[in-house]
Amino acid sequence: MSANTLAKCERERTNMKSTMIKLWTGIVLGALGLAAPSAKAEWLNQNTNPPAGADGMGNHLVDGITGPIFTLTAKPGHISTAEGGSVYVWGFANGNGPMQYPGPTLIVNQGANVVLTLSNTLPFPVSIVFPGQTVTAVGGSAGVLTREAPQSGTVTYRFTASQPGTYLYNSGTRPDLQIEMGMVGALIVRPSGFVKANKTTWKGFGTTDSVFDHEYLFLLTEMDPDIHSQVEHLALAYTGGIFNPTIDTTRHFANYWFINGRTSPDTMMVAGSKALPAQPYDAFPIMHPKQNLFMRVVGGGRDPHPFHTHAMHARVLARNGRLLQSSSSATTSDLSYLVFSVNSHPGETVDAVFTWSGEGLGWDMYGHSGTDPLAYGEDPNDHGKRFPVVLPAEQDMDFGQWYGGSPFLGTSAALPPNLGGFDPTGGFIYMWHSHNEREIVNNNVFPGGMLTMLLIQPWAPGYAP
Amino acid sequence: VGTALSRLPAGKGNAHQAGYKYAYNDGDGSTEFDVEYPIQITGFDHYFHDQEMAIQPVAFSTLFDTYPLLNGRGYPDTIKSTPVINSLSKESQKVSSLITANKGQRILIRLSNVSETEYYTLTVPGIPMTVIAEDARLLRGPDGKNLYYRTTSVTSGGGKTADFILDTTNTKPGTYFMYAARLTQLNNDQEDYGGMMTHIIINP
Repeated sequence: MSANTLAKCERERTNMKSTMIKLWTGIVLGALGLAAPSAKAEWLNQNTNPPAGADGMGNHLVDGITGPIFTLTAKPGHISTAEGGSVYVWGFANGNGPMQYPGPTLIVNQGANVVLTLSNTLPFPVSIVFPGQTVTAVGGSAGVLTREAPQSGTVTYRFTASQPGTYLYNSGTRPDLQIEMGMVGALIVRPSGFVKANKTTWKGFGTTDSVFDHEYLFLLTEMDPDIHSQVEHLALAYTGGIFNPTIDTTRHFANYWFINGRTSPDTMMVAGSKALPAQPYDAFPIMHPKQNLFMRVVGGGRDPHPFHTHAMHARVLARNGRLLQSSSSATTSDLSYLVFSVNSHPGETVDAVFTWSGEGLGWDMYGHSGTDPLAYGEDPNDHGKRFPVVLPAEQDMDFGQWYGGSPFLGTSAALPPNLGGFDPTGGFIYMWHSHNEREIVNNNVFPGGMLTMLLIQPWAPGYAP
Repeated sequence: VGTALSRLPAGKGNAHQAGYKYAYNDGDGSTEFDVEYPIQITGFDHYFHDQEMAIQPVAFSTLFDTYPLLNGRGYPDTIKSTPVINSLSKESQKVSSLITANKGQRILIRLSNVSETEYYTLTVPGIPMTVIAEDARLLRGPDGKNLYYRTTSVTSGGGKTADFILDTTNTKPGTYFMYAARLTQLNNDQEDYGGMMTHIIINP
């Protein structure tokens, strides 16, 4: 990362600030109140299972359901968008649970025999297709792409999750409308030998370069709210029989953009928040310096998105659940490549590893003197180098919520009353977002949409692995 | 890609040589080039700008480039060698996109999509094109495997970059075109035959 990169990030945060303060003080503090027991988890330890390690932060795995026997139920419902909107959707529920967007993330190990029964409460046929899997469909009624669950009926899909990687699933019935309406989800196949409780087994694939400390899903979708309003309007007039609304989906023009079913800043609200009953999944990557963050990026909608990882490049290891290798006997993704924006195309998945070091910054990001010991992961070339900027006086500065009062990693300092507050540990925060920047709004309210933050948390002082 | 090596002084191996230009620290001289041109994919939605001038809410989400541009100009302004002058007699768009080379030269194009509204695809029919880098990183695997690829078009999302080399070794002198392969982007709003296009002139 260069000083320019940091400066750019700083500028973007500054530009966003006034609206962010308004949005986030309301929304995030509201979420903290609603989810008080989880409030600490939201900021410090997103996933306590497996238990937090010696670093005090724990390690993140993607939320989802593990099966491999699944029951999903197709249901209608509404989702919230962060500017206050409410959108009518059709989605999948886990068993008899609430409808959710996206559908439950299905997480299995390689070799699992997956049996998924789809139960349909919607007044028209629905189905699920699993691109990349060899599926046997049983029951239900015949459809164009696969067998379907008719109104009040069920259908069962079976497949063996033979190859690890990230996949998606979505509706195979009138997909131009049903996927838009919300019938999409992610399928994660972890490699053989993966044990959730044993971090030494954590890998994205069988390869040595797919080892990770944290695993995050970025399921990218978008919606045209006009289509949803029309469908809801027609649904209100529904009197029975098969509901097959006349909707022109060729004029689709997205106006909402989502990561894991949420618009920003809801993307950073705690997973399972009661404020978002139909959108249980967050997308808030948190890591320590030099850790590996495994990115599972899914193009779940119909538009491509350049998903920008501010701060450092990510290494693309696999696409569509297949490693980028010169031969299947290679022990790494030897055809992998580095990008600062992951191309996420509709229907495609990308597995990438992101590592943050801050090396090459040109100044000591910890504010060390030359005689201080090196922090774990610190770039020795920058050790003791002075911060190249004289900070203006407090009255000459404006403060964002993410600023902890100090430019140094792991240092917090006094802030004017009622300012800051999102960065209690002196972390570094970078925006991750679609770089097609019209996609980072919520119905024209900026910031929003396909945007979240990466939080780099310092190691505890003196930490060494 | 071996064509670059054959141009280096005999017996000098793959090391970079004084007097030659290279795009990256490639270790094998394969990014050697003769001339370089930065091409920025730009564009704007004139409706958005009009709304801003009229102090109306700007519709970020419906942003749609009505003027697809290269280096801030639409064709045929793209090929002007002099700055474009605006209505206030100021130089408003200084960067020409006219690409000129002699037959046999290697042209490095440094492409970036700073439009940030959508994906754009640029194509160059008639001149072999090799992509050597994406997002400012040489296309090499972690153990050095060469991931360069030959193509006739490059697609770039908002904020993304690519570097590619046009090799004119076997190119007949004349005028070639670099343009948006999505032909609806070849317009200056309602005026056809414009937009995201420029000339590549290969001299004998």
